[in-house]
Amino acid sequence: MKKYLLNIKVNGREEDLAVTANSTLLEVLREDLGLTGVKEGCSEGVCGACTVLVDGRPVRSCLTLALDVQGQSITTVEGLSNEGSLDPIQEAFATKGAVQCGFCTSGMIIASKALLEQNPCPTEEDIKYALAGHFCRCTGYAKILDAVKAASEAYTPKKGPEGT
Amino acid sequence: MPEENYSIIGKSIPRVDSRAKVTGEAIFTADIVLPKMLTAKILRSPHPHARILHIDASKARALRGVYAVVTGRDTVGEKWGVFRYTRDQQLLCVDKVRYVGDEVAAVAAVDEETAIEALSLINVDYEELPAVFDCWSGISPGAPLIHDGYERNINVAVKIDVGNVEEAFKKCVLVREDTFVAEEDSYFMTEPYAVVANSHADGSVEVWMPNASPHTKAKALSNALRIPLSKVNVRKITIGGAFGGRSDVFPAEFITCLLSLRAQRPVKLVYTREENSIATRMGHAMITTIKTGVDRDGKVLARDIVCYLDGGAYSSTGPIATSVPFLCHEQTYRMENVRFHGYRIYTNKPVRGMIRIHGRSFACGIDTQLDMIGAELGIDPVTMRLRNARCPGETTPTGSFVASCGLVECIEKSAEKSGFTDKFAQRIPYRGIGIGINSVQTGFPLGIRGGSQAFIKFHEDGGATIVSGVVDNGQGNDHMLVQIAAEELGLPVEEIRLISADTEVTPTDAGSYSMISTFAGGNAVKRAAADARAQLLEIASEMLEADPEDLVARDKKVFVKGAPDRGIPIPKIVRQALLQGKPIMGRGSFSPDVDQRREWISNPRGQLSQAFSFGATVAEVVVDPETGIVRAEQVTCAQDCGFALNPMVVEGQFEGGVAMGGQGGMLGEEHRWHRGHVLNPTMLEYKMPIMKDMPRIVPLIVETIDPGGPYGAKEAGMSVAMSAAQAYANAVGHALGIYFNHFPLTPERILEAIEKKPSGLRTVWDFPAARIIEKPDKEAK
Repeated sequence: MKKYLLNIKVNGREEDLAVTANSTLLEVLREDLGLTGVKEGCSEGVCGACTVLVDGRPVRSCLTLALDVQGQSITTVEGLSNEGSLDPIQEAFATKGAVQCGFCTSGMIIASKALLEQNPCPTEEDIKYALAGHFCRCTGYAKILDAVKAASEAYTPKKGPEGT
Repeated sequence: MPEENYSIIGKSIPRVDSRAKVTGEAIFTADIVLPKMLTAKILRSPHPHARILHIDASKARALRGVYAVVTGRDTVGEKWGVFRYTRDQQLLCVDKVRYVGDEVAAVAAVDEETAIEALSLINVDYEELPAVFDCWSGISPGAPLIHDGYERNINVAVKIDVGNVEEAFKKCVLVREDTFVAEEDSYFMTEPYAVVANSHADGSVEVWMPNASPHTKAKALSNALRIPLSKVNVRKITIGGAFGGRSDVFPAEFITCLLSLRAQRPVKLVYTREENSIATRMGHAMITTIKTGVDRDGKVLARDIVCYLDGGAYSSTGPIATSVPFLCHEQTYRMENVRFHGYRIYTNKPVRGMIRIHGRSFACGIDTQLDMIGAELGIDPVTMRLRNARCPGETTPTGSFVASCGLVECIEKSAEKSGFTDKFAQRIPYRGIGIGINSVQTGFPLGIRGGSQAFIKFHEDGGATIVSGVVDNGQGNDHMLVQIAAEELGLPVEEIRLISADTEVTPTDAGSYSMISTFAGGNAVKRAAADARAQLLEIASEMLEADPEDLVARDKKVFVKGAPDRGIPIPKIVRQALLQGKPIMGRGSFSPDVDQRREWISNPRGQLSQAFSFGATVAEVVVDPETGIVRAEQVTCAQDCGFALNPMVVEGQFEGGVAMGGQGGMLGEEHRWHRGHVLNPTMLEYKMPIMKDMPRIVPLIVETIDPGGPYGAKEAGMSVAMSAAQAYANAVGHALGIYFNHFPLTPERILEAIEKKPSGLRTVWDFPAARIIEKPDKEAK
């Protein structure tokens, strides 16, 4: 099948890739770039496990064609920690008992990141709304809610890439 | 209390696996990439019941990029079954297909597109056969037989008869019989099933897959592939949830191994979400008829239960699945006279296994009926339960001694915390409160694989590595082992490493499916660590010139009791041991004290499990009578888990249990069908709870310090999952003044019930009762 050139920025690095027109962003991230922290749970945009940030917005990578994000900036869960230091959201998930089997965790953390970047002091309802599209079968969501609340307290939104 | 002396156990410390999971570093099966790896796809039956006349796979074999194609003819036809007497499933169908989705052929190819194209080139000629889709049609005389030799499609028949039920009913002031029906539910673990198999030139094969017992998987694969057990190496991998749905052996791993052995390349099979629902396991649909007789005080004098379980096409864990709903019930409630007939019926539907809230119709039926009896006698639900609740030191009807039991405390605490009695009496329209109680085993008699063993070795820097067969499905077993070893060895958790769930390296373990991991695996690691500590103290006693009895290992030091300042660092002791040629190697094992003569069908008596957990859950709901939608406001759940090794982890199990058992399990989760086709196999159509649905959860940990458990610990969380379903059912019933007998309580059912609202103490729907099935001579086996 014919391949097309795709230039995207993934976790801060420029990537040049050759992809088919029907490749999803999920496939490109997992298979071409080895970013297996992005999980495939349902393949139809329901479970939320494959969520990544595209220019800061949470997006279902299983429903996104790779060529549609040409030139855009992608953040996966692998891109949140920096030289071994965790993002406050990751830290809160790990320490508040929000992680059990861990399969939904990447998507939950990414969606929480999108929320807190936009709204660092969310109400409980804001958090529930932001994470409504994410299934967790282990935790009953209680400790995930606690973790996002805890992260929001520790959270200071980062400055934009321009350093303004 | 002894726990005051613990430095690590009993503390809410973060799980050791959480960091790898929040960074995306944890590798699940589908994440594995190996050189030369192929992709596998499976061709499945489109028919619920058909004879395979002919399979032509020649075109698929000739397709460019295809490395292997297998059909039933490429197998030795060995049948899988959990028990010797339930071996009824060919891991690739040879003669017949028995449900829509049964495995017919498989290919391994360079990529997914090629594999899918190859499947389309396989031609299968079927002769369609009449099919049955529910228990009643399955057992009707003249029904088509799904397996030869199983008359009326009865796969398993369990009979338990204790005391004299008929005589006891005569002494009752009140006897009532009701029938409860529940539909199939599913696991929907977030990770879809996947297998990677890698065959090697020496004839061995490595396998990675989500599993609840690596050793069981290895043994089954060794049998089916006819290769020695020592050549099947099931490897450790991160597992994305199980809930009972990873316990059995599936065609997927057999097929992937077969393809890898054929192609002499690694092969990866990843199930779609639909395949995960249809071709692993799902929950049983059940019809349960319960006849209960009580005295004037509401004490149950006699109970007679008949239960039909829709088992699907194959046995799976059939004898266990048929028995467990009754066994949980006999653990929970005291009864001197009780009879149970359980029948698991073959139907042309996907295979059923045990699920976190296995037996919805049974457990919810018991508790709904208890509320009805209470209403008739003028006794409130809490009192009804307290009068019948199991107490410690008693023996269950089938002969299990209950060493520790905090059921009464669970009932009292959850009722008090929720203000049950007042709220129940208030009767505010469309607001309801309900209570459910249940009990779960901590292990079963599992023969040679019933116990667990562990080793501990020390490193030169004083750190230690545990070697254990315990598997972690996501519930935190890895952390549990590390936390125990850290306590025993006086080391921080960060300095303990873990090698587990790898059949080549780790010793036998019972697996996680009977809720025994903490009890057996935890005890084995505790003993191995205690053994290692004794060796450590022996060496240290020479260095400190003190009696080993007077020494303590804590904070990475060994010191004389009361003198922590003058301790020797553990690394120094470890090195001293190496110098003396006495390297520290701990070993420990644990086999639960159960009656190995106990058998699910032929001998259902004797000690079933060494310990039992108990729980009581109270749910508070509001029902919208216009839409039938239920909003749960608060759920108070108490469980006797023996001792909470890590309260944060235990609470997480409770909360997950409320979500799956109560919120999902009772309000929305069910499969819908059309002639053997599942209409809602995906997450889009099958309604699981999301974060917005969840009520406020109040977890109450009750500790009874079981004499056999590690530090007194037992099973944690399952009694909440089960009792949550019962609590929700009763709460919705209380809100509407209706006794429900068809579960789950979907908006459609609630609206229908409001419309039908029967007067007096009656259940909503008049279902035909499940009755004892008289069979021609022999018991089905």
